[in-house]
Amino acid sequence: MAHRVLIIDDENDIREVAALSLETVAGWEVMVANSGAQGLARAIEYQPEAILLDVMMPGMDGPTTFRELRKNPATAHIPVLLLTAKVQGTDQRRFADLGVEAVLFKPFDPLTLSSQIAGVLGWN
Amino acid sequence: MDAIGQSALAEALDRMWLQYLPQMEERVAILEASAAAFVAKELTLTQHEAAKGAAHKLAGVLGTFGLTKGTVLAREAEILYSGEPEDDPSLGPRLTTIAAELRVIVANRK
Repeated sequence: MAHRVLIIDDENDIREVAALSLETVAGWEVMVANSGAQGLARAIEYQPEAILLDVMMPGMDGPTTFRELRKNPATAHIPVLLLTAKVQGTDQRRFADLGVEAVLFKPFDPLTLSSQIAGVLGWN
Repeated sequence: MDAIGQSALAEALDRMWLQYLPQMEERVAILEASAAAFVAKELTLTQHEAAKGAAHKLAGVLGTFGLTKGTVLAREAEILYSGEPEDDPSLGPRLTTIAAELRVIVANRK
């Protein structure tokens, strides 16, 4: 059965390449959201098995969106993987301390993104 | 993934690149304009923030389309703009060179 993943990213290009990658390479079902607020709504409605969440977004950023997801009983159980272009060590530690499943880095390889996610979540 | 699947993915990525090429070029244009303003000592706070944002976005996406050197250059620009480049006028030529190299890299991706 295909896994269901929600991608939350304000950047159209990244969001679409990630969706293409997960759908084409892994055959997963993908839903997308272009903001933290839209992502929260879609997570409640869609109940994905995992969420790929961008860090830097206008309005509600990734860490804030993550905290909101954890506060809501309807989404608190969904594993979240942060996606970031920040490579500085202090940022990485700060993101890891949030309690997310993993921090993945941009740029990602469209051929291997799904295996990275699957590895973290034990979907292999 | 088999060779046919990889080829289909590569073709889809090529189509997506063309779709988003104007967005990439716009980000490079922001870096070019900011570098020129920096050299002229006319970089505004708005331009500075826009340059940092454009560099961040390019760093995050170019490598995904196979442009690894583009990501490295954009990341360098992001780091330079994240500091206080105004304090070091010697950075002007480097910021100009990065923007020019990114222009070529983006233009040459087929």
